[in-house]
Amino acid sequence: MGRVARALIVHELVERTRDRWVLVSTLLFALLAAGITLYGRSAADSEALVTAPSLVTLSSLLVPLVALVLGHDAIVGERERHTLGLLLSLPVSRGEVLLAKFVGRLLALGLAIGLGLGSAALLLGGAQRGLLLSLVPPTLLLGASFLSIGMLLSVMTRRHATAASLAVTTWFLLVFFYDLGLLALLVGTGGAIGQGAIAWLVHLNPAGLYRMTLMARLVGTGSLSDLGLAVALPGAAAQAAIWAAWIGGPLVVGAAMLLRRRAVTA
Amino acid sequence: MDVRIDRVAVSYGSVDALRGVSIGASHGGSTVLVGPNGAGKSTLMSVVLGLLRPDRGEVLADGEVVACARHGATREFRARLGYLPEAVAFSENLTGRQVLRFFASARGVGRKRVEATLERVGLDGAAGRAVRGYSRGMRQRLGLGVAVLHTPDLLVLDEPTGGLDQEGLSVLWEVLAEWKAAGRSVLMSTHEIALVERHADTVCVLADGRVRAVATPDALRREAALPVRVSVELAEEAAAAQVASGLRDRHAGVEHEGRNVGLLERPEELLEVMRAVSLPTAPVRHVRVEEPGLDEVTLRILGGSRWDASPVH
Repeated sequence: MGRVARALIVHELVERTRDRWVLVSTLLFALLAAGITLYGRSAADSEALVTAPSLVTLSSLLVPLVALVLGHDAIVGERERHTLGLLLSLPVSRGEVLLAKFVGRLLALGLAIGLGLGSAALLLGGAQRGLLLSLVPPTLLLGASFLSIGMLLSVMTRRHATAASLAVTTWFLLVFFYDLGLLALLVGTGGAIGQGAIAWLVHLNPAGLYRMTLMARLVGTGSLSDLGLAVALPGAAAQAAIWAAWIGGPLVVGAAMLLRRRAVTA
Repeated sequence: MDVRIDRVAVSYGSVDALRGVSIGASHGGSTVLVGPNGAGKSTLMSVVLGLLRPDRGEVLADGEVVACARHGATREFRARLGYLPEAVAFSENLTGRQVLRFFASARGVGRKRVEATLERVGLDGAAGRAVRGYSRGMRQRLGLGVAVLHTPDLLVLDEPTGGLDQEGLSVLWEVLAEWKAAGRSVLMSTHEIALVERHADTVCVLADGRVRAVATPDALRREAALPVRVSVELAEEAAAAQVASGLRDRHAGVEHEGRNVGLLERPEELLEVMRAVSLPTAPVRHVRVEEPGLDEVTLRILGGSRWDASPVH
């Protein structure tokens, strides 16, 4: 990465940490995480085992939203402020600009996740802090996937408001309605689609993959079976491929669109 | 830097935005692009800035091709450019100093230069304030600061006077003078040519993607051949009527109203007009000779001037 891209990463990080919406979302995440932890502490002896699954559920809802909020205005926001031309007139390629913006915003997201899960970990006993902190890397992968989608939306759209609506729609579709849709598919087809196929479809969604892999790790696959969630997790290579596709795919498509677009600032 | 735009053509689908435009911006010179909306000014600037690859033609810097149909403006060329976009709006959450520091680190410029630039554009007192509290003129001055931060060889300014107050305009004029004195080049587009004409060495009139005229302001005035407007106020109404009558014998379009007489005439006829209004019986109270501004000259070239519609003010 060249000098401009490195400067842009730092700039993005600084700018995002001053963004009101990012600050509010981060604070909300941290407060909810701390609240769950305090509740977990009062509810059980093995607080981490109660707290961690709840934090996974919270993260699977909030982190995609924060990531989409962070990503959706990366390019379209610059275009509306008339600064995209200024940025692209620097000695830097369009692909580097997109990547630098992604990295800078991912660092800001990392801070938000670190603050949220870190505050929860601080409230737990020393031995169980490790368990909560081990949630940070997969949560970061979840965030990176949705950040990448947000970045793509910011390239695709011409207006900030359109990007924001699409970001919210994406969040509802992938985080809320996806599983309901699969359930409807299962019921609607009278079980013609096997559980294995449904499981794969669950895991193809980054929110589903995040939830299922962490729940299996935290409460064990046996407990999931008891809850009627008996699904075979994809292997490590398949998981890595799914994450890579969700993180890299939208970015690559976004970069290609940005490169192909002639009047990039219009 | 000597920049030459050579037969550049750009089309968006079936719309020809630029149709073989050729102009230059030489060492220590400022070239001003004027023309109506949709004339191709922004497209031309986008080609120079590397935001748009031309379909045909080239951009040359000191004789070397820096942008052509195969590639947009090279990184090396872009490193030597400073750009002020029209109505730029930097992030509201950052301070003016933070904005400049980002561009400084992207351009490899030290912090001392950031402080000097803030002072240069008159924002040193507001450098620690968030941009959201800046007026439109202050934002424009911050944009100018970003453009000149790394002392680029070519300054590209898109509507630089927009939103600037008198203090901001003074800063802009000083920067332009400084750039020209240092032998650097300026390329700017404007709708306010009358405001910037003193600082223009070459004016390029664009319309429908074509160069309609490119010359110095004086040469454009000669080409437009617009008359000067002469307004004379005499001491008495009767004398004004007498002067108007005398002028009508030799000049067309003489208007008379009370003690005022006005007409439009070619500059070379001015002395004769003055002789005609110098009556020994009634003193002349006031004479005003008004040259057409470059805005009127441009309009004449584009076929829309109303300069000669009303000689008396």
